[in-house]
Amino acid sequence: MKLVRNILLLSLCFHLDRAGLAEEAPTPSFKGDVMPILFRAGCNAGTCHGSARGMDGFRLSLFGYDVQGDYYRIVQEMVGRRINTAIPEESLLLRKAIGSVPHTGGTLFSAESFYYRKLRDWIAAGAPNDGNQTPDAVGITLSTTQLAFEHTTDPAVRIKVMAPYEDGSQQDVSHLARFHGNNPSVATIDEDGWVQATGAGDTHVFARFNRFTAGVETLVLPPDEGFHWPELSEQNFIDSLVFKRLRQLRMAPSELCDDETFLRRITLDLVARPPSVEEYRAFMHDGNPEKRALKIDELLQEDAFADYWTSLWSEQLRIIGGNYAPQGTHIKAAHAFNEWIRRQMRSSRPLDEMVHDMIVSSGSNLQNGPVNLYTMLVHAPRLEPKAFAADFSQVFLGIQIQCAECHNHPFDRWTMDDYYGFVSFFSGVRRKPGIETREQRIYYDTKAGSARHLVDDRPMPAKVLDATLPVDHTGDPRRALAAWLTAPDNEHFAKNMANRIWAHFFGRGVIEPVDDIRISNPPSNAPLMKALSQRLVAVDFDLRSLIRDICNSSVYQLSSQPNPSNRQDTRQFSHASLRRLRADVMIDSFLAVMGTQRRFGSWAAGTKAIDFYPRVGGDTARGDCGDSFLETFGRSPRKSVSSTDTQLEPTLSQTLHLMVGDTLETGLRSNKRLEAIIAHANSSAEALEELFILALSRKPTKTEQNALLPFIESTPQEKEVYEDLFWSLLNSTEFSFNH
Amino acid sequence: MPLKVVIISLLAFLPSIGWASNPIHYQNDIKPILRRHCLKCHGEDEQKAGLNMQQYQGLMKGGSGGPVVVAGRSSQSLLLEVITEQDDEARMPPNKPMLPEEEIKLIRNWIDQGVLEKAGDTSTLEIRDTGFVPSSNAEGKPTHPSMPSQLPKVASPTTLRPLPILAMATSPWAPLLAVAAQEQVQLWHTQHEQAIGGLAFPEGLPQVLRFSRDGAVLMVAGGRPVESGCVVLFEVSSGKRLVKLGDELDAVLAGDLSPDQSLVAFGGSSDVVKVFSTSQGQEQYRLTQHSDWITAIAFSPDGTTLATADRAGGLHLWDVTTGGIRLSLLEHETSIRALDWRSDSKVLASAGEDGRVIWWDVKDGWPSIQRNEAHPPDRPEGHYGKLPNGVLAARFGKQGHLATAGRNQTITLWSPVGDPLQSFALESALPISTAIAHDSSKLMVGGSDGSLTFWPLDEQPNAGRSE
Repeated sequence: MKLVRNILLLSLCFHLDRAGLAEEAPTPSFKGDVMPILFRAGCNAGTCHGSARGMDGFRLSLFGYDVQGDYYRIVQEMVGRRINTAIPEESLLLRKAIGSVPHTGGTLFSAESFYYRKLRDWIAAGAPNDGNQTPDAVGITLSTTQLAFEHTTDPAVRIKVMAPYEDGSQQDVSHLARFHGNNPSVATIDEDGWVQATGAGDTHVFARFNRFTAGVETLVLPPDEGFHWPELSEQNFIDSLVFKRLRQLRMAPSELCDDETFLRRITLDLVARPPSVEEYRAFMHDGNPEKRALKIDELLQEDAFADYWTSLWSEQLRIIGGNYAPQGTHIKAAHAFNEWIRRQMRSSRPLDEMVHDMIVSSGSNLQNGPVNLYTMLVHAPRLEPKAFAADFSQVFLGIQIQCAECHNHPFDRWTMDDYYGFVSFFSGVRRKPGIETREQRIYYDTKAGSARHLVDDRPMPAKVLDATLPVDHTGDPRRALAAWLTAPDNEHFAKNMANRIWAHFFGRGVIEPVDDIRISNPPSNAPLMKALSQRLVAVDFDLRSLIRDICNSSVYQLSSQPNPSNRQDTRQFSHASLRRLRADVMIDSFLAVMGTQRRFGSWAAGTKAIDFYPRVGGDTARGDCGDSFLETFGRSPRKSVSSTDTQLEPTLSQTLHLMVGDTLETGLRSNKRLEAIIAHANSSAEALEELFILALSRKPTKTEQNALLPFIESTPQEKEVYEDLFWSLLNSTEFSFNH
Repeated sequence: MPLKVVIISLLAFLPSIGWASNPIHYQNDIKPILRRHCLKCHGEDEQKAGLNMQQYQGLMKGGSGGPVVVAGRSSQSLLLEVITEQDDEARMPPNKPMLPEEEIKLIRNWIDQGVLEKAGDTSTLEIRDTGFVPSSNAEGKPTHPSMPSQLPKVASPTTLRPLPILAMATSPWAPLLAVAAQEQVQLWHTQHEQAIGGLAFPEGLPQVLRFSRDGAVLMVAGGRPVESGCVVLFEVSSGKRLVKLGDELDAVLAGDLSPDQSLVAFGGSSDVVKVFSTSQGQEQYRLTQHSDWITAIAFSPDGTTLATADRAGGLHLWDVTTGGIRLSLLEHETSIRALDWRSDSKVLASAGEDGRVIWWDVKDGWPSIQRNEAHPPDRPEGHYGKLPNGVLAARFGKQGHLATAGRNQTITLWSPVGDPLQSFALESALPISTAIAHDSSKLMVGGSDGSLTFWPLDEQPNAGRSE
C-alpha cells in the first residue's frame, strides 16, 4: 500500500471562540429550520428564486417542495460561493439576505434577526444536511377560525400558527408562516399575522407554512344603528343557513319577488325559455297558495328540463362532432355520447352513477356513448394522462390539481405525490382504431407504467386524493377511482356537484369560481355549502331533488331589488342577482317570443340552440358553432373545461347585434304573432298588455301605459308602431337578463 | 492524518463504463430497425422530407433539410434527435411510442463509431492522432526552475474551519503546489508534502490559480462574491506582487495567463471575458459572445489560442492576437467547469456538470474522445431520476494524462487516449480541484471540506512515443 496523505489545512484554522454561540442550542436543521426561513423570507416564491428558471442563476424549488434539490443548489452547486463554512458571515446567502451586497430581491431581514442567527448557526455548524430524518410538519392550526370586528377602528388581532409534527411535537411557527388576505377592502393582514379591519364585509385571511394553508374567516360588521331584520318565512335549510349568515353580517334580505318575476325566472332557469302568454295567464289566475311549488314540479317534469341539463353536461364535457377520425370526435361518437347523457337526464339517473359509468367505460366510441369521456374531454390524437387528469379533476372535483404538476399546490393541500398518483389512473387509457374508420376503441393497457414524479422520476402508482397509499386494483385502476369519487363520504365530488347546481340558479357558486375549489378560495357560506352537499348525498345524487329544494327556498325567490343594507352584497345571496341569459337560452327565447325559427349549421330547422352541440369540419381546433349570434353572445366554444368558456359579460357588439343585426330584424318583419295580437285585441291597451306579457312576462306599468298609449293611438301606421314597440321590448336589458 | 483511500483496479473499472463495443453496421444492425419503424415513409416507396433511408447512400445524403447523421457525433445528428424527442407531438415515428431503448442505443453507437455500412468496412472517421510526445514540452524549461525562498510572513485570518480548496495549481518545473485558502494562497512542496509558506490575497477568495509556462509567475484570480474581483500576479521565487488587474463587481471565476505572460484573460458573472495587458495593466479587448457566467478560461501553451467556457455549456476558441472567434465547440449541455490544454497545444480538455469529459482536437474542433458519464454517480436503492454527475475539475499532467474530479467523489486519471487508468475515492467531501505534480509522481486533490490529499501515482508507461 502506497502512502497516501490527506491533510486538513488545520494550520490555517483557528477555532473561533464559541462562547458567543449558545452552547446548548442544537445545530439548526436544513429541512426543519433553514427551509422554513427561505419560505418565510420569500426566497423560494415564484417571482424570485422559486421561478422555474431561478433568478440570476440561483434556483430554489417553488415554496420548497424539493428539500434535497435545494440543499444541493445552496451548498454544493457552487462550492464556496453561496455558503462559506470557513467564515459564515461571508456567505452570499446571508449577505444577500441582509442587503450588504446588491440583491435584486432587496433586504429580507436584518443581521440581528432570528432568521439571520439561525441561518448563520447552520452555516457555522458546517451547513450539514440532515436529510429526510427531521420530522416533517403534518398540518397547521391557527389560533382562531373566525374573527369578527364590530368596528373598523377595533384594534388589530394577531393570528398565531401552530404546527404539529410527525413525531408528535408541536411548534409555534407564527414567525415562519406567510400571510395573505383575499379582500383588503374588508381586512388586511401583515407579514406577522396582524389582522386589521378596513371596511364592512366578510372575507378570509390565510396563513401558509410548509405545504399547508389555513384560513380565518374575517367579518367586519356594518354599524348596528338602523338595522332591521325583516320577517321572512324560512322554507327549508337553505333559508335558515343563508338568513343566519345575513343576520350575522347585519344585512337584510330583499323582499320576495312577485309572481310575474318568479314565473319568468323559474321558467328560464329550468326549461331555458320564457313562459308563454298562456302559461302566464294560467299561473297568474291560479289562486293556490302552493302554486309556486307546483310550478317548479311541473317544469322539472318537462323534457325541456332534461334537455337543458343534457346541454350543460355536453358543454362541460366538451362534446363536439367533427369528421376527423383520429381524434375520436366523429359526429357519430358525439351523437352517441350526447344521447346517452340525455337518457340519463330524462330517466333521472343519479349523478354519481352516471359519472361512475363514464369513468369505467371501455369499448367503441360509436357504440358506447359514455366512453367518449376519453375522446371529448380533451381533444387530441391520443390521450395524454396529465392533460386528461387535470381536466377530469377540474370538472368532477372542481379542483385544479394541475398546479401540483411542478410544485406542491401553493394555496391548497395537494402535493406532487397527490398529482402524480392521480395522473396514474389514466396512464393506461389507450385508444386504438376500430373496425370502421370513424371508430376508436378505448381500452385500459394494464401493462402501462405509472406516471413518474417530476422531482425524482419515481413511479407513482394510482392513488386517490387525500390518501397516503395507492389503490388496490387488478390492472385497471379506474374502478377504484370511480368508487372513491362517487362514494357518499367523498366530500369533493358532492360539494362540486352541489356548488355547480347552485351556481346555475344564482349566477355564482357558494364557492366561486366553481372550478377552482381550494383552501384559499373558501365558500362564502361554509355551513350552506356543507348542507347542500350533504343534501345531494341524502337524496342519492338526484338532480331534481336538490333543484326542488333550491327553487322552493325563499332565497331563490328573493327580489333583485336591493335594500340599503344589502346593496353592496355580491356573495351572500341577500337578493337575486341580475343574470344575463346564456347565448343559447337567449336566442331560443327570442325565437320563442317571436314565434320564428332559425337554422343552426347543418342541424334541422327548428332545432333549439340549447339542443345542439357544435359540428365542425376538419379537426376540432375550432369549436364555435358558426352562428354569429351565438358567437357574439359568447356561447362556449368548448375549447376548454373552464367555467369561463361561457361568456356572460355584456359587450358593445352584442348591443349592436340586436339593434342592427339580422336576428331581430328578420324575425319582426311581418311577424305573424304580432299581427295576430293586433287583430285580436279589442283596444290598444289590450294589445299593449299582450305584447308586454309576451316579451317580458309582465303587464305594463301605469307609467308605461300612460307614456305609450297616446303614442300608439296618435300614429296612423298601427302595425309599424307595434313592430317598433316589440323591437324595443326585445332590445331591453329586462329581456336579456334573468332578474 | 492519512485517510483510507479506495483504489479501484482497472479491471473492475472498465466494464462499468462500457463504451468499447463491437462494430455496428448499417446492413446488419441498423437497417432492420429502420425497416420496422421508418422505411414506410422514408424508403424506396415514399420519401417524406426527401429522405430515403432504405439505401445507405440515401441515409448519408439526408433529406431536404440536409444531412441527418454526422459520422462520429450522435449528439449532432438529426436522426437521433427526432427519435429521442420527449415531446410526443414532435417525435418520430409519429403517433407511436418511442423506439425501444436498446434500438436507440444501437443507432447512437453506430453513429458514434462512424456510420459503417457493412462488415469489413473501416470507419470513415479520420484517424486522429491523439498520441502525445512528451518531448514536445521540453522547450521552455527554465534553467533554474523557480522555487520560493524567504516568503514574507502571511497572517492567517481566523476561520471556523478550512475553506474549501477552490483552486490549485502545480509548477510545470518544480515540486511546487499552490493551494487556495481564505484570503491567501498556500504553497506546498509536492515531494515533502509540506507547506512552504503563503501569499497574501486580502482581496478575498482565490477562485483560480495558474502558473506561468516557465513556472516563474503565479496568477491568482478571485475576490469577494457580488462585491469585488481582480487578478493578481506574484513572482514565485520572492512572493512579490507584480501587478493587480481588474476592478470587478463580483469575484473573478475564471482566468489564465498567456504563455508569454503579456496577457491575462478573466471573466465571471458578467458574461464577458476581458483580456488585459499585464505590462500596461489595461484592458486590450473583450469577448462578448458568451451568454452566461464565464466558468473556465485557458490559453493554449503555444500562445495562439484562447479557450473560454460558460455556465450554459458554451465553449469558444479565440485567436489571441485578433480576439476573433475561431471555433465554437458545441457538445456540453450545461455548465462547463474546467478547461485545460495538453502541453503540446493539440488537445483541449473540457469537463462539466453534464458529466462529460471531452478531449477536443482543436485543429477542427472535433471531439476526438468523449466520455459522457465520466464519473457515474452511485444510485442508492429506490432512487430514480437524475443524480448529480458533474465533473468539477480537470487538469493535464505533463505526460499527457488527464486527472478529473467528479461529484461521485472520485478522482480519475485518464491515459492520453482517454482510457481510465486509476481511480481514487474521496470519502467525506467533494473533490473540487486537482493537479498533477510536475514529475507526474503524485496527484493532488482539494476537497470541499478544505482537505488536501496527495496520491502517489503508478509508474505510467508513456502512452505516446518515448523521448
